[in-house]
Amino acid sequence: MKESLLEILRCPLDKHELELEDAEYDGEEIVAGVLVCAECGERYPIEDGIPNLLPPDMREETPA
Amino acid sequence: MTLRDRRDIETDVYQPAEDSQLLADVVCERLAADPDDAILEVGTGSGYVAGRISEVTDARVVASDLNPHAVRQARGEGVESVRADLVSPFANDAFDVVAFNPPYLPTDPENEWDDWMERALSGGEDGRAVIDPFLERVGRVLAPDGVVYLLVSSLTGVDEVAERAGEAGFSAVAVADESFPFETLTVLELFE
Repeated sequence: MKESLLEILRCPLDKHELELEDAEYDGEEIVAGVLVCAECGERYPIEDGIPNLLPPDMREETPA
Repeated sequence: MTLRDRRDIETDVYQPAEDSQLLADVVCERLAADPDDAILEVGTGSGYVAGRISEVTDARVVASDLNPHAVRQARGEGVESVRADLVSPFANDAFDVVAFNPPYLPTDPENEWDDWMERALSGGEDGRAVIDPFLERVGRVLAPDGVVYLLVSSLTGVDEVAERAGEAGFSAVAVADESFPFETLTVLELFE
């Protein structure tokens, strides 16, 4: 994902803004890191350049 | 890509079919060329529709899917991808256009949600298990004057979906349809 995507990404739980932590870049792309909700503190991983913004209770229940 | 990878994708990710093509054609045709726009494709699957849209516009195109295999394939196609439940992780008024080819096949309630392909196809007993919550939530992320392009099958019921859209505060207009032996596909344009 590009850093500018943060402008339109929000915490899926409370719709507050997200802060980027531990970012690893490949050129302009953020390939790894964590998005942290500025309000509730929930953490959302970025893996292989893709932010996983499923709410925590949906991360586990989906098929492999 | 190895044969093994290819086979995994074909069983885990819905690949472009007639419905994807119709939706991509309609959105590309009707898109106002404004590079400041932002466009979201919900449930992108392979990334085909989002990819086609990217080719005809300088607008920002974002794709979302619940399925991790799908977002990986879409990103591989060069589309900015987010793993998400419908529109839940996007800001209010963020998008000028939202496109969605939803899972719409009515299915037996006895069936379990047990693999990704079923998630991609099945719309529950009435075919609207995903469409209804989408209609309830999409208005939040839609910019003023934004439009939604929703693919609907006659198997799901275009009138029923248009009625639900109305309850969610949208006017619905059928902007394209195409008939196949077992269903007619319609693209509804929704605006507030």
